[in-house]
Amino acid sequence: MISNYFKIGFRILNRQRSYTVLNILGLTIGIAVFVFIYLYVQSEVRYDRYWTDSENIYRVWAEYKLEGKVERVAITPFKLADELQKNFPEIRVSTKLFFTDPSDVNDLSSLTYNDEVFEVQNITLSDSGLFRIFDYNFSEGDPWSALSAPNSIVISSKVAKEIFGDKKALGKKLKSMRREYTVTGVFEENICPTHLNFDAVVSESSLSPQNLRRLKSDWYHLGFYTYLKLDDTVSVKSFEKRINEYTSKEIKAYVDSAGVNIDGYMIFSLDPVRHVHFNTTLSYDSPSNANPAYLIIFSIIAGFILLTASINYINLAMARSLKRAKEVGMRKVLGAFRKQLALQYVSEAFIVVLIAFVLALSLVELLMPWFNALVGKHLTLAGTLFSIHGIGFGVLLILMIVVLALGSGLFPAFVLSRFNPATVLKGNNFMATIRGKQKISAGGIRKILVIIQYVVSIGMIIATLIIFFQMRFLKNNDLGFDAENVIVINTPDDTAYFHYATSFINELKTVPGVEAVSSTSNVPGYTYGKALFYVGDSSGDSLKTMSFYVVDTAFFQLLKIPLLEGEYFKTGMENDTTRYYILNEAAVETLNLKHPVGTEFDASFFNEPGGKIVGVVGNFSQSSLHSTIEPMTILLYPEQSRYLLVRLNENRNEEALAGIQKVWSKYNKGRYMHYSFLEDKIQSLYAADRKMLSLFSYFTFFVMFISSLGLYGLSSLLIEQRTKEIAIRKVLGGSDKRIILLLVKDYFRLVLIAGLVASPVVYYLMNRWLNTFSVHITLNGWYFVAGILAMMALALITVIIRSYHVLRQNPAPALKYE
Amino acid sequence: MINTKGLKKIFQAGDVETIALRDVSIDVEKGDFVAVMGPSGCGKTTLLNILGLIDNPNDGEYYFNGQEVSKLHDKQKAVLRKKNIGFVFQNFNLIDELTVRENIELPLIYLGWKKKDRKKRVDEVIERMEISHRKNLFPAQLSGGQQQRVAVARAVIARPALILADEPTGNLDSMHGEEVMNLLNELNKEGTTIVMVTHSRRDASYSRRIIHLFDGQVINENLNKFL
Repeated sequence: MISNYFKIGFRILNRQRSYTVLNILGLTIGIAVFVFIYLYVQSEVRYDRYWTDSENIYRVWAEYKLEGKVERVAITPFKLADELQKNFPEIRVSTKLFFTDPSDVNDLSSLTYNDEVFEVQNITLSDSGLFRIFDYNFSEGDPWSALSAPNSIVISSKVAKEIFGDKKALGKKLKSMRREYTVTGVFEENICPTHLNFDAVVSESSLSPQNLRRLKSDWYHLGFYTYLKLDDTVSVKSFEKRINEYTSKEIKAYVDSAGVNIDGYMIFSLDPVRHVHFNTTLSYDSPSNANPAYLIIFSIIAGFILLTASINYINLAMARSLKRAKEVGMRKVLGAFRKQLALQYVSEAFIVVLIAFVLALSLVELLMPWFNALVGKHLTLAGTLFSIHGIGFGVLLILMIVVLALGSGLFPAFVLSRFNPATVLKGNNFMATIRGKQKISAGGIRKILVIIQYVVSIGMIIATLIIFFQMRFLKNNDLGFDAENVIVINTPDDTAYFHYATSFINELKTVPGVEAVSSTSNVPGYTYGKALFYVGDSSGDSLKTMSFYVVDTAFFQLLKIPLLEGEYFKTGMENDTTRYYILNEAAVETLNLKHPVGTEFDASFFNEPGGKIVGVVGNFSQSSLHSTIEPMTILLYPEQSRYLLVRLNENRNEEALAGIQKVWSKYNKGRYMHYSFLEDKIQSLYAADRKMLSLFSYFTFFVMFISSLGLYGLSSLLIEQRTKEIAIRKVLGGSDKRIILLLVKDYFRLVLIAGLVASPVVYYLMNRWLNTFSVHITLNGWYFVAGILAMMALALITVIIRSYHVLRQNPAPALKYE
Repeated sequence: MINTKGLKKIFQAGDVETIALRDVSIDVEKGDFVAVMGPSGCGKTTLLNILGLIDNPNDGEYYFNGQEVSKLHDKQKAVLRKKNIGFVFQNFNLIDELTVRENIELPLIYLGWKKKDRKKRVDEVIERMEISHRKNLFPAQLSGGQQQRVAVARAVIARPALILADEPTGNLDSMHGEEVMNLLNELNKEGTTIVMVTHSRRDASYSRRIIHLFDGQVINENLNKFL
């Protein structure tokens, strides 16, 4: 019996091949996109789930208040891990991991082996607890003891391969600028996703005794991630309470002993390690952390894309069933029950869905490299299917097949099998009876379904437009300085550098193609430091927290930051005993300075006050435009520079770059020159947003494509049914244009209704998204009108393509047919 | 076998009411062969649809084998229909996607026959209708006469007591038409009751009795003079 349904199903699908192809194509794309999104979301959700007892692993984060300002940060004091471990027996293991600023590649980012310099991006520092909590597989060495001894380094298998090839790495010596390390372990890169991101780890005992002593005493030196592995039985809430009772006492004692008067607090909280990847609220956290809202949005889109493809199937099946009415009627006359008719429809849907599935999975496999490049992951279909999550994924796929087949097949079956056979045999526009009362015509249901498709399509078009324009706006947004043609070079992290810095910089200026060179403590538009400053006299009440840069005299002119008041730093000033400051506009406003130039001003970290403001410059962007422009002070103090800014005469001037490299090598023997283009660096702040834009654009394209397929099929069927009407109109003198308008009019109305439904929802959501930026475009009606018009144009084109053929036909045969 | 009392059927299209049947009372005995004649639009097909339980009267009573059936549920009607009634249509109404064999077999599938029994019965009927050489073709590959033979075969496959034929020769040339009429005649002789709607006097001549309909009313009911 069932095989019979399938046999007939195949024949019907084969006979109406063009509709079958439309359906399969739509579903294939829909399923493929769904699977991509599923794999993506899955890989995000799986972050840090596969450590042994991962449910007992926590990361500690801190909330502190200092000078009236509350901050929540992922980094904690160095000493926290050890202090807690000592005093709380319910902690099985603890560890600390040095926070490396992702923007900050310095000396430690390269290692020398046999006089050859290798760039190693993420080198961090930790203790032997690290590999006890996070059980990486070691191909060489013992994970538990690898970080015990001073001057030990554990490297990833990738780094090991790069430096040592196929030779053993264990016991080999690697040099940084400061000391020599012995390789004590090689870990395999994790196949399971984790927020941890390091290529090499050195042991904490490698730190110099004075550094170690300082770190071990200071509660206010935040610079380390702290991880704890707790006993199963620990209640996290009460544990948090107890550790804070302990630490607040300790911190108070520390502050009292230092003799400073700090108005503030610091409290620690625990985040399950599995949640770390989804926490985007903390500063100094991994930049790859995912906003869970994006994942939810993507999941919803995945559902919508499937829904769109499914609606195509339902609509085409229903429109087609007018042609099949005779068959349905006859089957009823011959005594078929509704269940049996429904089964026939469902088996057809099943065949279509099954074929689409096979094609979709092949497509996914085929496009995987492209998708991986797009999202920056290493996903594989087979990897997911044949891994431990394979069962879940397999079950999901089977479930999807069943749901899609039932969803797509049952609905038309339900509607169509209700019809009175005598009416159906006449081929009228039939009516469905719902609970015996309401009557909805098949045409009405179809319209509702088409509106749903349009709502999704239009919503996504509008959202894509808004994201696109916001990204363009950010790109073109006036940073307040000129980042074009500027490269950023990391200077050696070594006091010896300052002995030759001046001659090094001077020689750089002579390289053909180099226009200017300036040294700075932070990358403008990218990062900034924070400190306390005295305004006016050095009494305690005028202490203010502000962002600051430390630069040399060339800084403002190189970046072309406009001067509003006073003067720029002048050559010679750096040798004065007075310290000179320039403030930005926002700082002048915040400090409420009527006459800023000449005002006494100094950072609190200088023991003897003695500074003044010499100028005011325009606001310029200090970091991602997701955050606002902060009051900022710039100090002239070239010795603190960590970066060199070099302005080239033209973009990507290869010759100048080669010249710079040459000068670098001359002055910095054995050191790797880490450099990047300032524009690239600034743009990298929006990498997540751009990724979202490109994903969103693709999804939108597919939704539009699938709904166009549906519209194409649907209008084909409707035009076919109206062939006679079209012929009569032509005979009576209707022009092609008027007839196309007549055909497309209905769709325009549906698009308009859909636009009205979609707009407020999109407005609400996109407004929320835009508000995450400090500067953003304003939402106006044009985005919405453009989205609706785009959909209308698409409908018009689809209908024109479809009706062209009919309009070219001679009306006579259509009229003869009855 | 069939008794109707005061059957009434009204079609409503917007504000326009069309009365298809008004007060139709007819009786058909078991084994009878009745032709229903009348001009286009007089309600012949409507009457046949009601008799075949595929349409409902607005008023009146319909007794099938003594049971009032006009108010039964769809499902009950379907059961009654597939057990007792075979249909033959002017335009054959074969299902395009099914082969000759499968079309003929369909009523037995809906009756829930076992595969073995179905095969035996279908072979029998195919043999009888002389279409064995075409049993694996699709309707589109057959001539009109052949298609109607298949339709008749499908109508008789479940050995219904009643066959309702709606202009069975309407789309056939005279030679094929005669073949079909002979088939129906044979079936009637074997005991099957037949109610046939026709325009053709020649076809009507095969019947024992003619019911004339005009404007939805029975105007004349004669024993066929050729009997």
